[in-house]
Amino acid sequence: MYKNEQIFDLTIVGGGPTGLFTAFYGGMRQCKVKIIESLPQLGGQLAALYPEKFIYDIAGYPKVRAKEMISALKEQAFQFNPTVCLEERVQHIKKLDDHFEMITDKGIHFSKAIILTAGVGAFEATRLEHPKAATFEGKNLHYFVDDMNKFANQKVVVIGGGDSAVDWALMLESIAEEVHIIHRRDKFRAHEHSVENLRNSNVNMLTPYEVKDLIGSERIEKLVISNSKTQEEKIIDVDAVIVNFGFKSSLGPIKEWGLEIQKGSIVVNSKMETTIPGIYAAGDITTYPGKVKLIAVGFGEAPTAVNNAKAYIDPEAKLQPGHSSSMNLETANLTTTS
Amino acid sequence: MAKYTMIDKETCIACGACGAAAPDIYDYDDEGIAFVKLDDNEGVVEVPEMLHEDMIDAFEGCPTDSIKVAEEPFDGDANKFE
Repeated sequence: MYKNEQIFDLTIVGGGPTGLFTAFYGGMRQCKVKIIESLPQLGGQLAALYPEKFIYDIAGYPKVRAKEMISALKEQAFQFNPTVCLEERVQHIKKLDDHFEMITDKGIHFSKAIILTAGVGAFEATRLEHPKAATFEGKNLHYFVDDMNKFANQKVVVIGGGDSAVDWALMLESIAEEVHIIHRRDKFRAHEHSVENLRNSNVNMLTPYEVKDLIGSERIEKLVISNSKTQEEKIIDVDAVIVNFGFKSSLGPIKEWGLEIQKGSIVVNSKMETTIPGIYAAGDITTYPGKVKLIAVGFGEAPTAVNNAKAYIDPEAKLQPGHSSSMNLETANLTTTS
Repeated sequence: MAKYTMIDKETCIACGACGAAAPDIYDYDDEGIAFVKLDDNEGVVEVPEMLHEDMIDAFEGCPTDSIKVAEEPFDGDANKFE
């Protein structure tokens, strides 16, 4: 458990599109901003569930691929160097005299105001169901691939049949010593084009197979797999195992924080204030009469939440920030020091 | 064993995962929200056995557990067996 004594102005819970735009806007309003995200990556559903899908209803973009939208949002938000804490889930929030204490599964954070942009709740990768799986997690059992190069010259097994599993297997082909992909069915769910590339690659396709056992003490050394139809078993030597079974989301502890919740969403007023002063919300997690759950709407709620939170933190601050076109951000010192 | 399926449209987030896993069972409405195309999301038409594996893939892959599967008809109520 680590403790970061520094008190941030705004802590944003959830690093999806609305969270990233909230971080940008908070930076623009000279707030010291922190983002806490449950996954090892930013981007929310856009990055985790449908990076390749086109989005057509973002103002100014006739169409934009989800992963490109996220990359642009990150670039925009990072201009102000927000602190980003990945793979952390906020468990409890406690109101102290003039700020909040936020306890995550890894540490303690302090913030003058909080903006919840957690969408449908924290995402978590679906785990491999095996009693020994948890002991190898963080060693050579992975649920995410951030840096392909760490698999250089290794024997890698990818498990799963969707787009991410197939894409990772194909990307690893030129880096790893050997790549196997295991799927419990003969049919892959991934795009036909990717599956065709897979068939034409040197990736060893093992279907229909399921993992039966993980052998090794400190790390997984061998995988025992069994054919789903014939029960025939095979043993594969491995250096690394990557599992991609998709994600599950849940609102989890947010329900216990004393906020008013209707049908899994947090009730806010026109200032994006929740029922707890100092805690604001924006994006898909909010509800109010006439609420529409779209990214475009989250982008509108973000400045409302930030400007009202800014006025809450500093009653002298203006609610109306002025227009960004008049702020000369190009020459401003873009690191927040307040 | 007969299988029926239905989408809880209240919790579906239009991610598109089910249509990729089981395109013969699930489709999307104008807002991208999924529905069972066999019976207009009433959960009353038996899912053909040859599609059971696809359905289970979709069921397990749904990030919000909005896909419901049961051995009896739902009669239009996705939460009938919850």
